[in-house]
Amino acid sequence: MQQAEPGDGAVFGFLTAIESPQHGLFGGYLVVDALGRPLEFHCTAPVKVSRAQQILYGPTLHGHLHGQQIGGALLAESKASPAVVLTDHDAMLHVRPHTKLPVALVRPLDGGEAPAGFAVGAAQVIPHAGDAADDAALRERLTALAIAVDLREPFDRIRAAIEEAQRH
Amino acid sequence: MDKPASQIRSLRAEALAIGPADVLPWGEVRIPRPPALRLPVAGTGPTVIRVELGLPRPTVTSYRFTPPDPAVPSGDRRAEASIPAADAPPQPSAARRTRIAPPRDVVKLSEKFFYLLQPDLETMLHTGKLEFPRQPFPFQLDGMAFLMPRHSAVLADEMGLGKSMQAISSIRLLVRSGEARRVLVVCPKGLVSNWARELADWAPELVVAVIEGDQPRRRWQWSLEDVPVKLANYEVLVRDRDLVAELGLSFDLVVLDEAQRIKNRSSQTNQAVRSLDRRRSWALTGTPIENSADDLVGLFEFVAPGHLSDRMAPKAMGAAVGDHILRRTKDKVLKDMPPRLNRDERIELTAEQRETYRRAEEEGVLRLADMGREATIQHVFELVLRLKQICNFDTATGESAKLDCLHAELEEVQASGRKALVFSQWVETLGRLEGSLGRFGALQYHGGMSTTARDEAIRRFKHEKKHSVLLLSYGAGAVGLNLQFSQYVFLFDRWWNPAIEDQAINRAHRIGAVGAVTVTRFLSADTIEERIDEVLRKKRDLSETILSQAGEPVPSGLTAEDLFALFRLAPPQHRAAA
Repeated sequence: MQQAEPGDGAVFGFLTAIESPQHGLFGGYLVVDALGRPLEFHCTAPVKVSRAQQILYGPTLHGHLHGQQIGGALLAESKASPAVVLTDHDAMLHVRPHTKLPVALVRPLDGGEAPAGFAVGAAQVIPHAGDAADDAALRERLTALAIAVDLREPFDRIRAAIEEAQRH
Repeated sequence: MDKPASQIRSLRAEALAIGPADVLPWGEVRIPRPPALRLPVAGTGPTVIRVELGLPRPTVTSYRFTPPDPAVPSGDRRAEASIPAADAPPQPSAARRTRIAPPRDVVKLSEKFFYLLQPDLETMLHTGKLEFPRQPFPFQLDGMAFLMPRHSAVLADEMGLGKSMQAISSIRLLVRSGEARRVLVVCPKGLVSNWARELADWAPELVVAVIEGDQPRRRWQWSLEDVPVKLANYEVLVRDRDLVAELGLSFDLVVLDEAQRIKNRSSQTNQAVRSLDRRRSWALTGTPIENSADDLVGLFEFVAPGHLSDRMAPKAMGAAVGDHILRRTKDKVLKDMPPRLNRDERIELTAEQRETYRRAEEEGVLRLADMGREATIQHVFELVLRLKQICNFDTATGESAKLDCLHAELEEVQASGRKALVFSQWVETLGRLEGSLGRFGALQYHGGMSTTARDEAIRRFKHEKKHSVLLLSYGAGAVGLNLQFSQYVFLFDRWWNPAIEDQAINRAHRIGAVGAVTVTRFLSADTIEERIDEVLRKKRDLSETILSQAGEPVPSGLTAEDLFALFRLAPPQHRAAA
């Protein structure tokens, strides 16, 4: 499937995963417009990792699972060209080698020592190391989005939708 | 013959092997090849276990949503464009997020996702740049989140909690999102100007057409296409039922205010609203059940046809309507609302009034007794009305103990610079009161006045200090008016149903009330008024019973049996059976 190219700033992607002790790991990807309204939503069937896989993948498991398997599969299904894909899950940053889209981690701004990245509204945005050169452009786009939407909030929607899917 | 020596030398090594040998005629010795022995030196190889390291790619399910196509006037499309950060207002606080939950009757996962994936209401209001005359209360945002996703909804908040504001704000959001382009609001005639004012306050960008005037004008108004909201009263709707059908009008949303108007399924009003072609049906009422569970069935014939039947048990009915009705009471959602202080003023009739009353009751009861099985509910009703009127004013002398008491109370109200509302069920009583309360600047407000005259009375009462008292009829003044600047309410006589009295009281005791509201209910001692009060007191909680599914409901209005019992008479059918 053809990989999406970064868009002009009017569309944003939110990518996360939810661990269910019963079913395994679910991935969700929400694409919203500049006002935070949903345009696309993609979610995966649960992925369950065996004990052997855990041992043999060792510390590389989470990156492979979140980044390549789940994140890669979700982004491949999307027809949107977001300006950036935001995730609240560290391991999801491993999706970056599998997409042409810039990827950044979103964390709550806790008032402690400023980590890498930059603050947007109530969130700290930490771009993927490979995208650091585009910091200024990314910051501008996300600031425009943050006027409408708290950057942490769409992840709650994804979680609510995945929980609903599990009940369905 | 001997074999040459050179040939003998060519004997191969295996020929030297042990074993019986054949000597060929030319001397060559042929020795048979010994059997080969295989010795298992390496042993059995290990079993190979294949571990699947390559994790399979998970299946992905995708949903796509149509981007909204807002139907707002062009001047309001600012929100759609990208907003320069410098102009931007601050983000809504993350402390509270009101989510729009999918209704229970939504089955398809894609539709559930549509609601679950929407931004929270605070974000929608923020991004839509929707300005309000004041910040909605959190429970009002909950009300909007309840209404917006529902095609069948009853907002049954207690009076004074802002049902119309919640409905208007929800309409506004639906129009903004392109989910509604044609909305019809239907309300009682006396509230049309009130609704027009509230729409202008809470949704200033929405163009509203008030359907009124003669038939050609109304035809033109109904036909207007670029008007998102049309406002009509119930009488106009009944009159124009055929016209609406002829024009083939369909609505994305129909909102009924004071929807208890349609509780009677056989009424023309009920049939007219049910005949409307519509996608969403919302009903606003503080009293979804006034008298019996049948009221709710009548209401749901509009909201969700076929959803309820009058054969359902109260608990089953409660369960069936649970997801369609939202009801909040002031004591639950407005902890810091000024208190409502209730006083029952037990008033002794004057001597002349008492004598007139005694004669009227004795004669009336005797007449009913003489009529025997011929006595009807109408006869009893007439006697009750006659006695109640005497409790207000002595029909012989014009004396009134209640008026004397009211006079004294109003002195205090006027002296403190406050305002008071006085309710009566008779326009005639209001006229008499106005004549006697001239020094308090008493104004009247009732259904016999034109809409313009009523609006003018409200304006003067609100803005002119010399008018301390507004005299209202229960019929016209009990619904839809916002008179929260009044701190005193007097019920000069009692209505038949406590729900109507509550509506009247809540004209003053509502959001925006600046202080405690004192409610004084006049009751003439040892009269029919006390007996009615006693009956009604026992029946006040019907609505809550059904709405909370907390047991068997009882009717709250006066039944035929109740009326006959006021005079210790059995109703005709019982007497017949006896």
